[in-house]
Amino acid sequence: MDVRCSDKRIVVSGKYITLLDRFVQDFVRILGQETPYVIVSGFVAILFGRSRGTEDVDVLIPRLTPEDFAHLHRALVKGGFAFLNEEDADGLSEMLERNRPIRIARAGQIIPNIEMKFIKDDVDRLVLKDHLELELPGGDLCISPIDIQIAYNLFLGGRKDIEDALYLWEIFRDDLDTAAMTRALDLFGVRGDEYGIGV
Amino acid sequence: MELAFDRKMHDDDRLAFVRRYAAWVKGVPNEEWSRQQGALIDSFIGNARNMPLSCREYLERVADRKQSIR
Repeated sequence: MDVRCSDKRIVVSGKYITLLDRFVQDFVRILGQETPYVIVSGFVAILFGRSRGTEDVDVLIPRLTPEDFAHLHRALVKGGFAFLNEEDADGLSEMLERNRPIRIARAGQIIPNIEMKFIKDDVDRLVLKDHLELELPGGDLCISPIDIQIAYNLFLGGRKDIEDALYLWEIFRDDLDTAAMTRALDLFGVRGDEYGIGV
Repeated sequence: MELAFDRKMHDDDRLAFVRRYAAWVKGVPNEEWSRQQGALIDSFIGNARNMPLSCREYLERVADRKQSIR
């Protein structure tokens, strides 16, 4: 794997772009013109080669006013996307305000889809602020910092989550800052010793 | 039914596979690992698109799944 990491940017050249990658790139091309965003959770590990599929991709955005969300709603619909929830733009905005996720797919399809949420706490704010720019053939993506993603997956604690954490650790262990990794583990109150993560 | 002993062994096997797979990915060009991964993901997405579900049915299914994880 040829991954070039520098400060807040990761370059993965020559990667085959999957149908899932293309879907996400098309989506964030519109989203990114309207608001900052960050991709979190399982898709981050998949981007770097984890051998599993997923039907949805988690995306965090800052809290938008109903007017700004209506603007984003119009832009996404115009760009060929549709909301799986039945609510109109006002209803979707209310759902987000109540920290409930909404789902967006290409019009006429259900899978794959984006599960989008407003940021809700300091950890979300940190992930959005400290996001990494991932350069891929076909378009850049904003993704969560790898150390925080590893710690968050350990915190979630499911089989798939731990495997994702371990995979990211094995891929990036030589590029991660030890102190930053320790801070991320402390942030979620988790330890990775059992899996050889962060040690 | 999965016994606790079996589960531990199964988890260890899976984690060992993740380590081996990550080592393989790190050792081959991006074109190679991503093409193999792409075959899996594109096939998964292609099959999922044929699922005869309405949006409402899908959202209910997702909600049920999240409920069962909690």
